[in-house]
Amino acid sequence: MNSTTTTPVVSVTEVTKCFGSVRALHDVSMTVNSGEVVVLLGLSGSGKSTLLRHLNGLERPTCGAVDVLGQTVPKLRPTALRALRCRVAMIFQQFELVPSLTVLENVLTGALGRLRGPRLGLWAYPKALRVDALRRLERVGLLDKAYQRADELSGGQQQRVAIARALMQNPQVLLADEPVASLDPESATQVMDLVREIAAADGLTVVCSLHQVDIALGWADRIVGLRRGEVVMDTKAANLDKAQVMQVYRDLAPGPDVDLDAELVSAGLVSAGYSVSGPA
Amino acid sequence: MTTHTDTSAAAPGEVDVVTRAPRRRVAVDKIAGLGLIVAMLAFSVHALSRLDFSWSSMRSSMDTAVTTFSRMDPISLPPAGDLVYLIGLTVGIVVLGTAMAAVISVPVAWICAANTSPSPWLRWVGRAIGVITRAVPDVVLAMAFAMAFVLGSALPGIFALGIHSIGMISKLFADAIEQSDDGPRQAVRAAGGSRAQEFWAATFPQVLPSWIATVLHRFDINLRGSAILGYAGVGGLGYAMRVAFQQFPEGYGRGLGIAIVIFVLCVVLEIVSSTIRRHLLGTDPAGRGLGGRIVRVATGDRPARPAGGRLTAFVQRLGRRPSSADGPVGTNRTAPGFVRRLLPRHRDAEVSVEAMLHRPWTGSRVRNLVWVWTAVALVVASFWWADVNASQITWDYVLPTVQSFWPPSYGSHSFGEFAQAMLITVEVAFAAAGLSLVFSVVFGALAARNVAPTPGVRQFFRVVLVVFRGVPELVLAIFLIMITGLGNQAGVIALAFGGVGLLGKLVADSFEEVPRGLERAVTATGATRTQRFFSSTWPVGFPALVSNSLYLVDTNIRAATILGIVGGGGVGFYITQASTVMSLHGQVTTLVIMIFVTVLLVEAISTWLRRVFR
Ligand SMILES: Nc1ncnc2c1ncn2[C@@H]1O[C@H](COP(=O)(O)OP(=O)(O)O)[C@@H](O)[C@H]1O
Ligand SMILES: [Mg+2]
Repeated sequence: MNSTTTTPVVSVTEVTKCFGSVRALHDVSMTVNSGEVVVLLGLSGSGKSTLLRHLNGLERPTCGAVDVLGQTVPKLRPTALRALRCRVAMIFQQFELVPSLTVLENVLTGALGRLRGPRLGLWAYPKALRVDALRRLERVGLLDKAYQRADELSGGQQQRVAIARALMQNPQVLLADEPVASLDPESATQVMDLVREIAAADGLTVVCSLHQVDIALGWADRIVGLRRGEVVMDTKAANLDKAQVMQVYRDLAPGPDVDLDAELVSAGLVSAGYSVSGPA
Repeated sequence: MTTHTDTSAAAPGEVDVVTRAPRRRVAVDKIAGLGLIVAMLAFSVHALSRLDFSWSSMRSSMDTAVTTFSRMDPISLPPAGDLVYLIGLTVGIVVLGTAMAAVISVPVAWICAANTSPSPWLRWVGRAIGVITRAVPDVVLAMAFAMAFVLGSALPGIFALGIHSIGMISKLFADAIEQSDDGPRQAVRAAGGSRAQEFWAATFPQVLPSWIATVLHRFDINLRGSAILGYAGVGGLGYAMRVAFQQFPEGYGRGLGIAIVIFVLCVVLEIVSSTIRRHLLGTDPAGRGLGGRIVRVATGDRPARPAGGRLTAFVQRLGRRPSSADGPVGTNRTAPGFVRRLLPRHRDAEVSVEAMLHRPWTGSRVRNLVWVWTAVALVVASFWWADVNASQITWDYVLPTVQSFWPPSYGSHSFGEFAQAMLITVEVAFAAAGLSLVFSVVFGALAARNVAPTPGVRQFFRVVLVVFRGVPELVLAIFLIMITGLGNQAGVIALAFGGVGLLGKLVADSFEEVPRGLERAVTATGATRTQRFFSSTWPVGFPALVSNSLYLVDTNIRAATILGIVGGGGVGFYITQASTVMSLHGQVTTLVIMIFVTVLLVEAISTWLRRVFR
């Protein structure tokens, strides 16, 4: 678990994904190395979620190869796929907690992949796992909320519970699908900081989709830009500034009828009044 | 129309407008739909006349009733000990039957619901189970199962209720599953969970409240219908009532007394189940009956929505998502961002993992535990009271009993005979629905907030509807048949009575759902109260009225079948005869298929009409 390892943890090769007539991904290739924190950046509908969902086998590519942690994901049989998913945790834009269950039970569901058979209720989980779950909650700063209903928490707290649930898997890879899109700026910062901190401490490989350039720039090691299902940028974040990101999107020369600025502004990629050619 | 021609005659320039205006399209389907409705209404009237609701026959049955009352012994109850035993037995059988259906319904609903079903063909299997179990009346099942159990055992009744109730519970439960949030399920899948783990960890907790509400609702229905199981030899109040009514005149007072006990029991337990729903689920009592009403009055609360929508709304409330701006994130909400980031994450240092290992005994935890153990105790007590055990099953007869239903046959009868019987049952259903409709529209409109002239009138008619609904219609039917000596006519009156309670409530609710703004707009044009009713309330409420009426026909067909068992005619008569003899079970299958096809036909008509008058 150190940054000198360069074996790719995730490697996506020429993946195309079609939903009926909609082509969500087109010839996408990318790799993520161990311990790397990568952001998938793109407008809504550009295929970020679809790409992430390929990494844990929630979607199968129409063609192309997806390898994660040395396994060819689309080829895995159900049991092997479940075993892989145990090592690849995911958090979601809408947190996806069970609202009527306690926070602790929600965290424990992260351990289901390691257990056999269905579980209902706290006592269905071994004590060791319950202690584990409490430790994860302590780590995200919500130990005192363990026995509250999940829907009694604020959005930011719920996302932290979801992170605790992901940590329950002792994952090697963390996938995050727009983890802060439903949060206010303060909670968003808190959640992004928490993910970064945990990734550094545990040596996690992180693939996170975002649509806000500002958040991505200060946060990621590397940014992969997606546009209409195609990779249009793949650069170290350190070398980037906002204008360059904008330039990449602009250079793609959309049809003359597309107002890119408006499109980007409405998607939150840039603030209103911003223009690539200079301040308005 | 006439005003139109008048104005155009007065102002020649406007003729132009009429010619330029688009022609009104002739809506063929609307005309056909209206024709169908008129035809069904005519059929109801025809059925009422065929069933001899003539003045003379009414007079003679009145005379019979008067004679019966004058000659029968005074109303009495069984000795207290016996009465307690009978009540316990009836409740126990209903509890066990409902519990059995509740458990079986979980996997059935799981394979039925589009979002959890493992495969499309399993969905069809699940639907078939639901449809078939709903089509076969519980009392028929109880009669048909009799052979497979030791005489006097409560098991045939329990199995009959347990199987028949699967249809409704699994249908409503599957609906709730389909409305549940898919996100948590995906989260469990992404964490490596299996299908079963997905269901129990993510789906079931979401739909648990609606499952409990449905099961309690079904418990009420089963209790109301349980008296009829006495006619299949299942012990309890129904059986005691039947035995009492077999002796004239000395048993009638006792029979009537037991009927009153059943009525009171239904109301009391509806209060109990409504209270549970309220406390356990924090939802309004969904019961349309007296019990739910009493709870609402006692707690000073009025339902916000009609019963159907409430469950849905409840499920949605559980599945709602928090907005980004809802509430403090941590204890340091007021601290500026950078300060907060500097604060240690483990700011709750006083709370340790060891201390948190034990769930605190909060009020809600105690309450939930008490409910769970009460439910367990109730089921255990029911087992003990109903005195059931596996040794009461005659295993040698189980398989032959199941096999005896196939293939379907006509026995010594012909298709014509069965069709004739089916026609009579359908006539009873339509006649009762027709009577209910007339009274429901009047009572329901007067019970609707936006139609009733004063709040007092509304309240009065709401209570009238509750009283109508509170009477278990089959007990009323038995009573009327015993007292008047009539068969199907008495049944029609009983079904119509219960139907007014149900349909009137639905009518009132559908009128109240008419958007207020719409009515205000019409009032603002200077329309009178009556004009407002016919120009806004009625057209908006009409489609619901049509589909609710046909829903009533559907439940009436099922209920009218059972009337045959207690002394009416129609298919119920043939089913009763055939279900008690194993070699005749093929006929039961034939008749159930015929009922089923008829009900499907009514449902198809209802769906089509709903689309036409949308
Ligand atoms: N399950 C699906 N069925 C059909 N189309 C889908 C499905 N999932 C995604 N798509 C389509 O694929 C495209 C990319 O979607 P998505 O990956 O969700 O984008 P993003 O997450 O970047 O907003 C969109 O056009 C979307 O409509
Ligand atoms: Mg997305």
